[in-house]
Amino acid sequence: MLSADIEYYRPETIQEAVDLFQILKGENKRPIYYSGGTEILTLGRLELAAAGAFIDIKAIKECLSFGFNQSYLIAGAALSLTSIEEKNLFPLLSATSMGIADHTARNKITLGGNLCGKIFYREAVLPFLLCDSWVVAAGGNGVKPIPIGQIFNQTFQLEEGQFIVQLLTERNYIHLPFVSIKRRQQWETGYPLITVASIKADNGLRFAFSGLCPFPFRSKEMEAELNNIGLPVPERVKRALAQIPGPVLHDVEGSSEYRLFVLENTLNEIILELEGE
Amino acid sequence: MYIIGKGITRKDSLEKVTGHAKYTADFETNDMLHARLVISPFGHALIKQLDLTEAQNIPGVRAIVTGDDLPLTGEEMRDRPPIAVNRVRFNGEVVAIVVADNPYLAMRGVEAIKVQYEQLPVVNSPSEALKPDAPLLHPHLDQYEKIQGVYPEPGTNIATRTKIRKGDRNKGWTESEVQVEEKFAFRISDHAAMETRCSLAQIHPNGMIEITSSSQAPFMIKKLIGQYFGIKPGSIKANTPFVGGAYGGKASIQLEILAYLATRAVGGRLVKIMNTREEDMLTSPVHIGLEAQVKLGCTKDGMLKVAEILYLWDGGAYSDKSIDLSRAGAVDCTGPYRIDHIWCDSLCMYTNHPYAAPFRGFSHSEVHFAFERTMDVLAKKLKIDPLELRYKNAILPGHTTPTQFRLNSSTVGNLPKCIEKLKELMNWQEGQVVKHGRDKVRAKGVACAWKTSTIDPDASSGVILTFNPDGSINLISGVIEIGTATKTILAQILAEKLKMDINDIYVQMDVDTVNTPEHWKTVASRGTLMAGRAVLAAADDVISQLKNLASFILRAPIGDLEVGYGKVYLKGEPNKQIPIKDIAYGYKFPNGNSIGGQIMGRGHYMMPGITNLDKETGAGKPGPEWTVGAQGVEIELDTKEYRYKILKAVTVVDIGKVINEKTATGQVKGAMSMGLSFAARETFYFDSHGTILNPQLRTYRPIRFGEHPKYEVAFVETPHIEAPYGLRGAGEHGLIGMPAALGNSLSAALSAEINYLPLIPELLWKIKGGG
Repeated sequence: MLSADIEYYRPETIQEAVDLFQILKGENKRPIYYSGGTEILTLGRLELAAAGAFIDIKAIKECLSFGFNQSYLIAGAALSLTSIEEKNLFPLLSATSMGIADHTARNKITLGGNLCGKIFYREAVLPFLLCDSWVVAAGGNGVKPIPIGQIFNQTFQLEEGQFIVQLLTERNYIHLPFVSIKRRQQWETGYPLITVASIKADNGLRFAFSGLCPFPFRSKEMEAELNNIGLPVPERVKRALAQIPGPVLHDVEGSSEYRLFVLENTLNEIILELEGE
Repeated sequence: MYIIGKGITRKDSLEKVTGHAKYTADFETNDMLHARLVISPFGHALIKQLDLTEAQNIPGVRAIVTGDDLPLTGEEMRDRPPIAVNRVRFNGEVVAIVVADNPYLAMRGVEAIKVQYEQLPVVNSPSEALKPDAPLLHPHLDQYEKIQGVYPEPGTNIATRTKIRKGDRNKGWTESEVQVEEKFAFRISDHAAMETRCSLAQIHPNGMIEITSSSQAPFMIKKLIGQYFGIKPGSIKANTPFVGGAYGGKASIQLEILAYLATRAVGGRLVKIMNTREEDMLTSPVHIGLEAQVKLGCTKDGMLKVAEILYLWDGGAYSDKSIDLSRAGAVDCTGPYRIDHIWCDSLCMYTNHPYAAPFRGFSHSEVHFAFERTMDVLAKKLKIDPLELRYKNAILPGHTTPTQFRLNSSTVGNLPKCIEKLKELMNWQEGQVVKHGRDKVRAKGVACAWKTSTIDPDASSGVILTFNPDGSINLISGVIEIGTATKTILAQILAEKLKMDINDIYVQMDVDTVNTPEHWKTVASRGTLMAGRAVLAAADDVISQLKNLASFILRAPIGDLEVGYGKVYLKGEPNKQIPIKDIAYGYKFPNGNSIGGQIMGRGHYMMPGITNLDKETGAGKPGPEWTVGAQGVEIELDTKEYRYKILKAVTVVDIGKVINEKTATGQVKGAMSMGLSFAARETFYFDSHGTILNPQLRTYRPIRFGEHPKYEVAFVETPHIEAPYGLRGAGEHGLIGMPAALGNSLSAALSAEINYLPLIPELLWKIKGGG
């Protein structure tokens, strides 16, 4: 339940959505783009998120597309996570997605919503970081694809009024060998202690992480150490741990020391599995 | 047996599985008002300023209630202002209630209230509370009103101390050749019932106060609100529809008081107050925490001689039910063993934590975690099989309990038999720890359990039976259907007694304190004993009335008549009979003359011989009987990463007599699940301000379907003579040994003593030297 008076809009085209944002902003209504709503509503009731107007992007057809064109897999931002899993066009994305929340919540949580969430795990970004995907963003300056490496740094660096329409991933990444491991405080439910996703590309293994730092990331520095095949695997992992690009989380899910312990084990396990193939 | 023992489908099942069942929060009217709470974000603080101005100016905000001029409340000792005055003592404590036209406006009012706090030093654990220089939570502890049997220690944070002094501990230590001592701790946690608490209140023009609440104790609502506010009990009516999980948490009277204050502030208009999940976890009472020290002594061959125990309960900021909880923990302060010398101090401590409600098992799973873990440590030291050690010392008829009550074959179940059966079901001879691949071991852990129900000596239960014109019966009892199927069990007991079709028994599910006879509280696994006996008494009453009338119509002496199968008949000549439907509303002669009249049965039951405990020794009879059980858990542990799965959980419990095989099994399995969830993952995390960091199901995560092990349940039947058909309580016992059994399995797997909860992999890693 939200106590504020909130206006709700459901535009059918990208242009309409972008225009609405500008109009509502002009009227000082603090608009935000709305997709699944799971986070806006749950944080809103705790007064952790405030907005005067929602612009729901779920009626925009580009946001719902999911399929291949000649070169790319197109994944719309308003797809629910369960619909992504059911179609399973991108097995790594399905695998990572299935660790998020629970099935009932994933019926509502959308790809774009998870990518742009305030809750900092944003695990759905990991596959796209690994695959150097393109992000199609729409805003005042039109609709344009941007390499994820340029627009994502801890969070998506969107301009005000801009929203993610789709993600484009090159076909040849889709069926690369991969591993996605989520370790939790206990058993099979809950936020990650750490989530590690990895693919085996031509030039080596790639790694992306969530739950390790207060943001998800892919680290080229860590990858360089982890791919240093001149060294034994445990040594490579130890060196990679020295390259973590931020403070390691220390919270109710687990201490930073324990996270590093779990990370070390997990990285060893992943390398053995993927290099063994 | 006619129907006893059979797995009859629950009377409430169709309504529930179709979503038609109505719970308190489902009641809505157009003109009702809604209340929301301002709660403290800190564990301990002075309220320097409370500015209501902005909130009062919001159109649609009808009233704001603050703590001024309210009586103190509390079930055994009145130490709790219903709304904080000047000072908050826990994160979640109510600072103000906003009543408004709708929930949105009430919430807006809450957001508009400005509170300035000045934080105070926080007491964050019971052992901190015990330190001589600890901040005092209740400087006026000596002035609180209290009932008999409460022993606060003014000038300290001790709300009450229960002493158990059995035998002579010095003698016990002299006789002991082997001793062990272990320490344990776990924080408070939650009940996490699916239904968050909700209360509705209104004051009718004639002064009648009507409260509808998701409660296990509507008769206590009536009694306590009457006492707190000086209202005649007849002027309070409490209703309880279905309750969506309670687990003890809804036995405390808390939200009802706020609902009453809210309606009083708006001229008696109907007000609804429903907890958010966060309020349900913080503001309403929680599951108690514990720190414990257990010292055990025994002979070389493992015969227990002495137990010396200190329990420090984390009762939270107010004592409400935690006084009783700390007492119950003392009553069964050991596991179910013969121990001649017991010295136990059980202290209910004030801390800056949310205060405690009962939790399924009423202190027993908590105490058993400490005691049954220590038993395993002792077994290891003695190099005796842990089940063998338990078998050797098992409590038997003729032995005495820690409160010096001498047991007989009715008042205690058969523990050795439970242990024997557990051994089989656990495949115990296979060995406790078995390697399973490179980094995996499978390990088994066991625990024994017992429990009596410490309930008020004068607690009673009543039942009324009325007839329908077709001879079917309405069964009216004050037991709340909290999901335990007790009302179905009552119908089975009645069907057995009257040899009638259970489908001809209609059970009233809702309870209304005006037209339903009192059942003390739906707690302590005592619904089947107390209300069951009341059903039998009411059935006897009906039978005698039916026979009286039939004797005259059938022209036979009362002694020759029998009631059953829908008729009254002659024992020797069963075809000489009259259908009950022809006399239940009186008998009509062919010419129209009628005699008799509608038959109503009434019955009640009060447990005989329950006593208060002696202040200095704890001696007394605290409950009617001791249900015993033996439980086990098998896990598979990754010894490299400390992650584990629970493969199997087993309970063998002496249930006296199985009344409904399906619901009994369901109760035990559900209790096991809850015990494992509590043991393996549920806890509140606090920061240094006493603020709870995980008051949401996002971060407080009970066990989920799919994470559960294979559950196995077996029953032993040693009748409790005074109970209907010999039954014993069964609602809680599946939970009691689970935390200890899980702890014992992990301790065995890791060859380390794991004495803290929750048993998460990080804890195991730390104990094994990580970090």
